[in-house]
This record gives sequence, structure tokens and C-alpha cells, in this order.
Amino acid sequence: MMAGGAMPGRTIPQPVEAVPETAPPIVELANVSKTFGQGRQEVSALEHIRLAIGRGEFVTVVGPSGCGKSTLFNILAGLTEADPGASIRYGGQPRAAKELLGKVAFMPQRDLLLPWRRVVDNAILPLQVEGMSRAEALKRAAPMFPEFGLAGFEKHYPHQLSGGMRQRVALMRTFLFERDLTLLDEPFGALDALTRSLMQRWLLEVWQRHQRTILFITHDVDEAIFLGDRVVVMTARPGRIKLVLDVKLPRPRDAEIVTSPEFIQIKRQVLAAIEEESLKSFQQATGG
Amino acid sequence: MRSTFVPQIAALLGLLFLWEAVVLAFNVPAHVMPTASAVLQDIGTGAALIGRGVARTLLETLLGFAIGAMVGFAFGAAFAWSRALERVLFPLFILSQAIPVIAFGALVVMWLGNGIWSKVAIAAYLTAFPVTVNTCRGMRSVDPQRVALLRSFGAGDWRVFWSLQVPFALPSIMAALKLGISLGLIGAIVGEWFGDTVGLGILLLQAMYMENMPRLWAVILVCGVIGIALYALMEAIERRWVWWRPEL
Repeated sequence: MMAGGAMPGRTIPQPVEAVPETAPPIVELANVSKTFGQGRQEVSALEHIRLAIGRGEFVTVVGPSGCGKSTLFNILAGLTEADPGASIRYGGQPRAAKELLGKVAFMPQRDLLLPWRRVVDNAILPLQVEGMSRAEALKRAAPMFPEFGLAGFEKHYPHQLSGGMRQRVALMRTFLFERDLTLLDEPFGALDALTRSLMQRWLLEVWQRHQRTILFITHDVDEAIFLGDRVVVMTARPGRIKLVLDVKLPRPRDAEIVTSPEFIQIKRQVLAAIEEESLKSFQQATGG
Repeated sequence: MRSTFVPQIAALLGLLFLWEAVVLAFNVPAHVMPTASAVLQDIGTGAALIGRGVARTLLETLLGFAIGAMVGFAFGAAFAWSRALERVLFPLFILSQAIPVIAFGALVVMWLGNGIWSKVAIAAYLTAFPVTVNTCRGMRSVDPQRVALLRSFGAGDWRVFWSLQVPFALPSIMAALKLGISLGLIGAIVGEWFGDTVGLGILLLQAMYMENMPRLWAVILVCGVIGIALYALMEAIERRWVWWRPEL
């Protein structure tokens, strides 16, 4: 059952089954909360997150800054434990967050390339961590360079590349780390608008070819709708899921789709939800 | 590459000429300051003796440096790994460095004898401290986000250590090694003063007792050349293998 954190007392369009009942979701979160600090300094970053992602889905998450999106990713990547009482099922098995280490392909906001490794050695790092020999990993990586627009740059060092290329190296590293779930945290946040739009279409191609399941964080509403099968809108702190919208735009999607009435219709709903939340967090911040 | 050294060599030659000219012009007596030519001549006549001294002192320096670098790396890594260990042992390190190494010299000779190992020990002792400090500091400053990324790939402590912490700390370790090799040379020369028969430190002592000014300056020059050569070697290693700066 595809569940998208329904809040009582609000009219929320219930997500439609995106995968047949027989295929269990890759990941199923229920009652996932996260509090930082103690006593008066206690800050609730996430509250009662309920989310399921089916195999092959592309789910995007938007929300105001500080809505706990990155905390959610850290939990899914196994880097942070959720508060007690959370239920995380991965591949049908209940898991503690730390058991997800090495099971989820995680790409943080910054490319985090290692400056002393060449492009190719950065890309194969996760394979080497898995214990694969360098020769074997290189063989696996070789055909992906043209696909990621990095042909001819294998032997370069990260400081010799542009921001967009570094980001593609980081993406290639993430895609080489073949896992059931791929987490992308604002991968195009630092890119200029034109490069970003090219990268979005390119990412969709790669996603379809490699048949990965992707959870994608962004600040950009257009990006969220353009890429996603579903858009998850999160609330300001504490982060909750405010809205889950199905994006039934046909695929493959081209650049013009962002001006279609269907797109605008979805965008209006998402923006309205975000607007409400931004206002709330602004009032919290100003004490109003 | 070779052309870049031309100005430095020219400056060095200029200095030698100035030296020669000043000593001759002011008629400085030889027991105060010999001429540059007399010193160079002494290097020529004493070549066999000085060469043996160079070989011995260089060996002591390099052995002491290597041992000191390894010990320093091990302690630095251990301190980076465990704050508790650092709290217990690091004050002892500071204390040991506060005592001038000369004060330990006699002790080291009594323990390790009059041979090469007492000098190696002093050179190692001087090298180890900066390497310990910089290894620890370099490893502590490792980017936590990169650690998290490696962990998300399923990397264990050992993998994070070798694939991330060590390369991350290397530029800082390298800076300590450059300092350490100079200190190692000092340690070897000073170590020889506590008793031996070969080495540049011994040649210095002999020249002093015999008031052999040209020889004294010859050995000083040779020590300088060795010091510069060792430093240049470390620079070359750094340029070739440790050229990156940690990105944060």
C-alpha cells in the first residue's frame, strides 16, 4: 500500500497505487521522528513521517529550509538513528537506521570528491569499499563515462573540472553503487539554470535506463514536478509530510512540459502548500 | 626546471665572492674569519675525511628521521583516534619536548652506547614530536561529511582511516616532515658530541679544539648543503605525491 503521511483534519489527495500490491515497497517509513538536543534546547526536526516508495519510483521532496529533509536522508542512509518507536522497513525487513549503511546509494548536496583521487578513482570508490578489485571496478565504470559526459576526463583530478562536471562525477559514483534505493540531496542546487535543466533531462534518461528507485530532495518546485512520479511537500520545523501529489505527466518529459496546464495545475497546489508553510516558519522565526 | 635554480646559484656565488672580498679588503685575520677560497680549499684537501663524516651523519639523520616519522605517525593517529589517549599521553609529550634534548644526550649514550644508535635515537626523538602533532591535527580536521559518505558506502573504521583520514592529513604531515628532517640533522650532529669518532659533529669538535678555522667553516658549509638538500628532497616528494590541499 502506498502511504503518504496523511495528516488528520486536512484534505489531502491520497496517493494512488503506483505499484501493484504484489510488489512490496522498497522502503516503508512509519512514525519516523527525530529530535535533537535535550531539555529546553530540544529541537524536533522530523515528526511522524510516513512514506513508502515503490520499486522504480522517482519521488521528489520539497519544503522550506530547515524542514528536516536532510535529516530524513541521513536516517535513510543509515547515518542517523531515528527516535525510538520509528518503523523503517527496507526490502520488506524491519531495520535500524544503522543497518542501512552500505545498502542505500546516497549522494549529499556537495560532491565531496576526494581531491587526491582522479575522476575514475573517485567514481569507483564505493565499489572498492565493497571489496571489488580496482581492475574489476574500472571495467565496470568504463562504459559509464560517455553516458555521464565524462569521456576523456577519466584521468583528470577534481580541481580540474567545472562544478557541473564534478556533480556528474558524484552522480556517476552514486549510480555505480548499485542499490535498491538512491538518495539525491539537491544534486543540482549549485548549478546555473541552463546546466540544471540539461542535467534534469539527462538524469531522467539515466534513471529510466538503469531502472533505479530515486528519492530526490530539492528546493525547486519546477524541478520536483518535472522529475517526480510523486511530489512530497514537507512542513517547516518540525518536518512533517504536508502533501503528497501524484504527477501523472507522461514520460519521457521534455522541457516544454513545464508550461502545460497540467504542470501548472500541480505547481499551483504545491506552491500553495509551500507558501502556507513558509509563512508559518517566517512567523516562528520572527516570533509573530 | 633547471633554469629556475639559476638565480639561487648566482646569489650563492655572489655571497662567496662578497665573503672573499670583505675578508681580503678588511684584512681580517684567518683565526677570526678565513677567506672563502681557503674554506673551499680545505673542503678539497679534507674531502676523504669530510666525505666519511657526511656519509655517517647522513645515515644517522635518515635512520632517525624514518624512525621518528613512523613513531610520530603512529602516536598522532592514536591520539586522533582516542581523545582519552591524547589527554593521558599528550602532556607527557609536551613535557618531554620542554626538556632540551641535550639534557637527555648523556642518558641516551649510556643506554644505547657510543655507536650509531644513540644518534639515531636523538634524531628520531626530535623528528617524532612535530609529526605527532601534525598527524593528529590533520586527522582530526577530516571533513565529517566525507566520513559520512564513506560510511554510507559501508566503509568500516579501517577503510575510513586509510582512504580518507591518512590522505586528508598528508599535507599537514608533510609540513611536519620538512621540519622533522631539519631537526633530525641537528639531532644527529648534537648526538655525535656525546662521543664518537666519525661524523660531521665530530669534525666540528675537532676543528674547534684545534682552532682550525677553515675546517670549521668547511664543515659548517657542508652541514648547510646537506640541510638544504634534505629539505629540497622533501619538497620534491611533496610536489610529486602530496600536491593537494584538503577541500572543506
